[in-house]
Amino acid sequence: MKHDDRSYRAAAREASEARFARSVAACLSESAERVSPDVAERLRFGREKALELARRARGDAQGLGVTASGAAIAGFSQSRWWLRFASVLPLVALVGGLVLIQNWQNRTQISVAAEIDEALLGDDLPLNAYRDPGFSEFLKAPPNE
Amino acid sequence: MATDKELSDFLKSVEKRAWKRAVYAVRDDDAALDIVQDTMIRLSEKYADRPAAELPLLFQRILSNATMDWFRRQKVKNQVVRNFSEYEGAGDDGDFDILETLEALGGPLQSESAAESVSRAQILQTIEAEVALLPARQREAFLLRYWEELDVAETAASMGCSEGSVKTHCSRAVHALAKALKAKGITT
Repeated sequence: MKHDDRSYRAAAREASEARFARSVAACLSESAERVSPDVAERLRFGREKALELARRARGDAQGLGVTASGAAIAGFSQSRWWLRFASVLPLVALVGGLVLIQNWQNRTQISVAAEIDEALLGDDLPLNAYRDPGFSEFLKAPPNE
Repeated sequence: MATDKELSDFLKSVEKRAWKRAVYAVRDDDAALDIVQDTMIRLSEKYADRPAAELPLLFQRILSNATMDWFRRQKVKNQVVRNFSEYEGAGDDGDFDILETLEALGGPLQSESAAESVSRAQILQTIEAEVALLPARQREAFLLRYWEELDVAETAASMGCSEGSVKTHCSRAVHALAKALKAKGITT
């Protein structure tokens, strides 16, 4: 009996609190409608900016969907990871190509130098070389110097 | 997914209340406008693909976070905590009669002569001032529960606390408001 009375009083108290709170909230709503034109205008501006961004966000999402479905038709993965990898791929190919070109040029230069050395060493010694004073000195010098 | 019209209508319906809530919290009109704009932009950018029914709760949560971000930026969080602790113990009002104040809000305020209109504007201002003076958590719970009309579970989710805490905050806020309004002469 006592318990029922206590719970009844608690419920009544909660109900009166809720009624009071809703009355205060109604006053706050009324007050909120009385904002200055400047504030209302700035809120409108903010809202329109937000809506524009929402439209753009949806557009981007749809664009991404189209790209992904195209990739799916070609048999590729739809994941963002793959798209990111694909965007880096041309750069990797460019760097690889440059390294290959550099390597090929080095090999060509070495090959040309080797051909010149081979031609010089294989050629006969001209007669004037024997009359050169330096050559005589070279012959007189001990072989281990 | 919410359409442009649904999103626009929703923002239009909450923007003024959101601005007021931010003003109560930060007590700076311009900062409150920035907070509301930031909230609308965050909602639109990140949750434009959500159903319209989910927007109210998301909006309230983002607004709370944006307000907290503002406080963090202002480095006045300690002040807020101090205010909170000052009011925390003021919830027990004994035999205070809440209905007495309730009747004042529902009775004479409904008349609309010029003098009473001015009087009403003053009373609304007083009520707003008292709401702004509530401790931050009590005010947030009170406004979410009774102004934004979220249920207890939604309010708890939005505030990141238990349902019991929401009920306690709301009850304390109601009693603090009733007591303060009575002290200001808003009685029958």
